[in-house]
Amino acid sequence: MSENTIPPRKLPRENLYVDSAAFWQGTREGRLLLQYCKDSGRFQHFPRPVSLYTGSRNLEWREVSGQGTVYSVTALRTPGLGADGRLPCVLALIELEEGVRILGNLPGSRPGEVRIGDRVKLAWDELSDGRYPAFALA
Amino acid sequence: MTTKQRIAIANYAEIPNRLKTGRSAYDLAGEALAALLAKSGLALEEIDGLSVTAALSEGTNPFLAAYMCEALGLSPTWLNLSGTGGCSALSGVMSAVSAVREGRCRIAVVLSADAPSTNYRADFGAQRPEFQEPQAAGRPPAAFGLLMSRYAHQYGLKEEALAKIAMVQRGHAVLNDNALPKLRTPLTLEEYKASRVVADPLRLLDSVMFCDGANALVVTSEEEAKRRGWSKLAIPTAFAEITNFNGREPLADITESGFGHLAPRLFAQAGMGPAQVRMFQPYDDFTIAVQMQLEQLGFCERGQGAQFILDTDLTHQGKLPLNTGGGQISAGQPGLAGGALNLVEGVRQLFGEGGPRQVAGARNALVTGIGVIPYGRNWSTSAAMILEAA
Repeated sequence: MSENTIPPRKLPRENLYVDSAAFWQGTREGRLLLQYCKDSGRFQHFPRPVSLYTGSRNLEWREVSGQGTVYSVTALRTPGLGADGRLPCVLALIELEEGVRILGNLPGSRPGEVRIGDRVKLAWDELSDGRYPAFALA
Repeated sequence: MTTKQRIAIANYAEIPNRLKTGRSAYDLAGEALAALLAKSGLALEEIDGLSVTAALSEGTNPFLAAYMCEALGLSPTWLNLSGTGGCSALSGVMSAVSAVREGRCRIAVVLSADAPSTNYRADFGAQRPEFQEPQAAGRPPAAFGLLMSRYAHQYGLKEEALAKIAMVQRGHAVLNDNALPKLRTPLTLEEYKASRVVADPLRLLDSVMFCDGANALVVTSEEEAKRRGWSKLAIPTAFAEITNFNGREPLADITESGFGHLAPRLFAQAGMGPAQVRMFQPYDDFTIAVQMQLEQLGFCERGQGAQFILDTDLTHQGKLPLNTGGGQISAGQPGLAGGALNLVEGVRQLFGEGGPRQVAGARNALVTGIGVIPYGRNWSTSAAMILEAA
């Protein structure tokens, strides 16, 4: 498949899994909001229908710093993995300061440039109809 | 345990793995079933229990098991749709054991058929569209690239050990007529090292290739098997599984999997330890998964898997024969039916039907399953079974 046949990347539909409206509103405002359990005072990501810590639905969305460290990192190099048109695609599992991990790309980074333990900050992956949370070396 | 009747895997059939057959899971299942009937002497109407493995090529079809019955002319009094990905067949066998023991059926068939190289229709839903797919983090190579990268950070990787898994299994596939024809040539270290990186540090030759295929296992009581003249039996003497291990711990060490959790339970049931395992038929989607299972099932210490691999003869003639049919990496992965590939091979070996790759003194086999790609972890379900020849 040549690059010019790849359709533009679009945002997924919202609220398919749980009520994620706050997360998506955050992306429009340039803020990263994650689900927070008010009973235990802990974040969880991805969002769930209940708190993983208490089983209750006493949940809300809170903004996080977007600051964290790289827990693991890979670079997708072949078509068919969902990253067509942006290969090689650096993908990391980020450990945020708030005690939760999030999967994110590091757009513009080269493979090998990002290492486990590196500090990262929130960045944005620009899509055709919006943006998605991503990271960059701090 | 003497009061319980023994339930066994008493027969099996497997059709060859092939690429892009253009056929459905139902049609492939039919071929496996017809082969099973011919081999076992069973009549279609004698099958009164059925466990069907959920298939990638059937997408999210919730009616798969019942439609399989309609397709194949089966009227089971016990029916199960098994949906733990690569663990579905192992779990299906154990559910069948319970169903036979409870009298819900006499002859249960565990049927796995899939055709993802013809028709990949899986729509996983859940969190994936919003929180995993925008970052291209939902596919197995992405997940295992991250896992392997973290493992390398904590313990280091030995390329020669991962290559040895691929090479030993390829050697076994050469001896397996049901393996994908294009994979039935020996593999060299140079070829492994030259294979392209898919998701750093994961190479193409660390990975499975999707194909189409099907297999079937018969689960019944020892008494029923004897009555039918089926003299070769494989008894599941131990089984343990866990799903979503560490699932409430957001900062868990992702190099720790459910196998470490289930290993003590598994070996206690079997009354044996890793040193007594005659052959290892582990789920192999990627070479690193084999190495991690060796460590977490207790064949060696954490982080010592590579050295253990390099120090151990893993061929069918060796001390610990590994995936003697080639495994999924070298025989091909017929989608989620691939979860039964190494199980069928274990049974075949215990029946003494391994042909040119037969393991001498094949008294037991450790078979495992790995199922489902989760979010930022290793895998969702870990399952392991010890089979003993009877």
